Amino acid sequence: MFWDFVIRAVQFRKRRLALAFAALAVSATLATALFSVYSDIERKMRVEFRGFGANLIVAPGGSAQTVPLSAVALAEQQSAVAAPFIYTVGRIDSEPVVVAGTDFRRAGPLTNYWRVDGARTAAQGECLAGATVAAHLRLRIGQKLELENAPCTVRGIVTTGGAEDAQVMVPFDAAAQLAGLHDAASLVEVRADGQRLAATQAALAKALPGADVRLLHAVAETEANVVLKVRSTLFLLTALILAITTLCVTSNFSALVLERSQEIGILKAIGAAEKKIAALFLSESLILGLASAAAGYALGLVVAWWIGRQIFPESAAAGVGVNYGVFVPVAAVTLAMAVVATLAAAARIWRISPAVILRGE
Amino acid sequence: MFVRFVSQSIRRSPRRKAMTVAAVAMGTAVATAMLGVMLDIGDRMNRELSSLGANLMVTAKARSLPVEIGGVNYRPVSTQDFIPEDQVLKIKSTFWHLNITGLSPVLRASTPLGGRNVPVEGVWFRRSFRGADNAPLEAGLRTVNSTWKIDGRWIDDRARNDADFEIMLGSALARRLGVKPGDSLQVYGRPFTVAGIVSTGGEEEDEAFMRLEVLQQLVNRPNQVDAVQVGALTKPEDEFARQDPSKMTPKEYDRWYCTPYISSIAHQIEEVLPMAVARPIWRVADNEGKVLDRIRGLMLLITLAALASAGLTVWSVMATTVLERRGEIAIMQATGAGNGLVAALLSTEVAIEGAAGGLIGSWIGLLMAEWVGRAVFQTSLETPAMLGPVVVGAAVLASVAGAAQPLRRALMLEPAVTLRGGE
Repeated sequence: MFWDFVIRAVQFRKRRLALAFAALAVSATLATALFSVYSDIERKMRVEFRGFGANLIVAPGGSAQTVPLSAVALAEQQSAVAAPFIYTVGRIDSEPVVVAGTDFRRAGPLTNYWRVDGARTAAQGECLAGATVAAHLRLRIGQKLELENAPCTVRGIVTTGGAEDAQVMVPFDAAAQLAGLHDAASLVEVRADGQRLAATQAALAKALPGADVRLLHAVAETEANVVLKVRSTLFLLTALILAITTLCVTSNFSALVLERSQEIGILKAIGAAEKKIAALFLSESLILGLASAAAGYALGLVVAWWIGRQIFPESAAAGVGVNYGVFVPVAAVTLAMAVVATLAAAARIWRISPAVILRGE
Repeated sequence: MFVRFVSQSIRRSPRRKAMTVAAVAMGTAVATAMLGVMLDIGDRMNRELSSLGANLMVTAKARSLPVEIGGVNYRPVSTQDFIPEDQVLKIKSTFWHLNITGLSPVLRASTPLGGRNVPVEGVWFRRSFRGADNAPLEAGLRTVNSTWKIDGRWIDDRARNDADFEIMLGSALARRLGVKPGDSLQVYGRPFTVAGIVSTGGEEEDEAFMRLEVLQQLVNRPNQVDAVQVGALTKPEDEFARQDPSKMTPKEYDRWYCTPYISSIAHQIEEVLPMAVARPIWRVADNEGKVLDRIRGLMLLITLAALASAGLTVWSVMATTVLERRGEIAIMQATGAGNGLVAALLSTEVAIEGAAGGLIGSWIGLLMAEWVGRAVFQTSLETPAMLGPVVVGAAVLASVAGAAQPLRRALMLEPAVTLRGGE
């Protein structure tokens, strides 16, 4: 009979309940979406900052001129991306030019910012020319560059606005030969993940006592700062929005109960115990609460997924911006809101005597 | 009589009305706060990103190829290519001068120190000037590089002084030479005092810095600088910006010129400094653009989600209000009021409630946006003045729209049926 009551009540007031359902579901949707995005935003933003290239440099320390090539392997052991570079002066038609020996495969992820016309890598016998060099020597792609002791075919022209514009990029081994270096590099660029940065720097410094392992403060600090500010903004806005929607929802649920004061009056008058009346309303609210939480959760995940896709399309991994673990807290809060509001409203009513209610006050 | 009716109606059951107004206020507060933050966050983040350093390099047009490794020049010095120091400030007179947050001219030389050729840079550290419109402006190394860590102190070059032999060293160089702040160092045959040691992790670690006028004197290059580093707040490059400006139509060119794309700012700098070439430092500029795009996009979408929910809240609250007053509507119809009049009366009340809630909510929302701005960025957000009125208007519209449908349904019903209690 108890459940009879509940089911009939729901059927009878479908439209009114639908509004309350919508309000609570929207609240749950927002909570799910915002928390999902918030929990993943740090990872996503740090991926963005990879485009800046290296955040650690292994440079020669003390009076050394080079760093051992083993630095690359050491850095990779720390799950970082590393690439060695050799800088030496070559000659083209007896004019000096800076030659940069590059391990193109390793340097790829560290040099996303290169704007390249043509190929981004060069094999044995090939090279890339910086834009200033190309303009100065009037080079075109496919042309043979008469670099002394290392002639090569130009496969691409690189523009960066930085030092690379005035360099000729050749394969690492070719430059090592030109410079007469063996198993060494001028410096090694390293990109360590934002959170592992300090640990990676310490490990490399310890393993390479003769080298100077430098943290690129500008990049590292800006990354940390921007990530923190984005997270803080999201967090504060989320908290504010949820506080407000909570208030709104509780008032909605209170209203639901207050409207049925006549019903409560009648039930009391015919002898129903207050606990039973409370249980009745609570069950309705809980059903409503669970249904909205479930609907809100599902919709919220869709919204979070969509936002993730729109903003970070490269992260094609499944569950982009989606945090399945959000369900429990969202459902818990949703149900708690529903319960508290219902009980508070019901408590207010049953303190009044039935006669007063039925008379219409 | 219309007015009397409405005002009496409003004063009845004030608690219900208060709840309705409160709900509208809450929805409006959410909308206002989100919009307030979203509209300004792009600019705030842009300023944060400027701590990455210069995103534009302005160099003297060189007739020969630069041969430089780690700041040391390997080609015989040809002193013919330079930018005149007294024209450097023209960079702050371009169309986008307000977007240029820092500029730092530099003269490069090298000198043997500790057995090796070491790059020496003559720079402005931080000097104040009066700009074109007499506004104070600052220029120098410290305006472009805000994350440098100093052991010791900066050289204070507020007043020009070519007899101030102070020097700052990069930390790797200082370690190699075994000097600390306060020590004396022989450079160019003179004793220099080490004012401070700079720690950046980058190329600067192996370099030495002194006042521009001192280096100019020591290498006999008066009024010359080799390059100017520029930091600018830019709009991220999009498809439109990537076109070749020489191939644009006049209208497109105007639009490009009047948008702070980095390529457009570079072009304008070249216009005022014809002896120089301005090139974007893509590593910084491109990535700043990408990060900004992401952040703006994210905020926009979240704001849309919040606006949708705010709209729904207002809508549902108003719909509920009308539903509850079906009895009243029925009585009015039964006593002969025309549908139009009833609709007008209720809509006016709804609109007033919407406006009241909107006003309170937008005020709260602006406070919330301000609070978020202070908490995260330590500065006030700049919200457009129109935001408040627009949001209040939207609240009124949403309220009336929300009430419209239930109102229509209620008016269609037979008053007798409603009054008897049926649906």
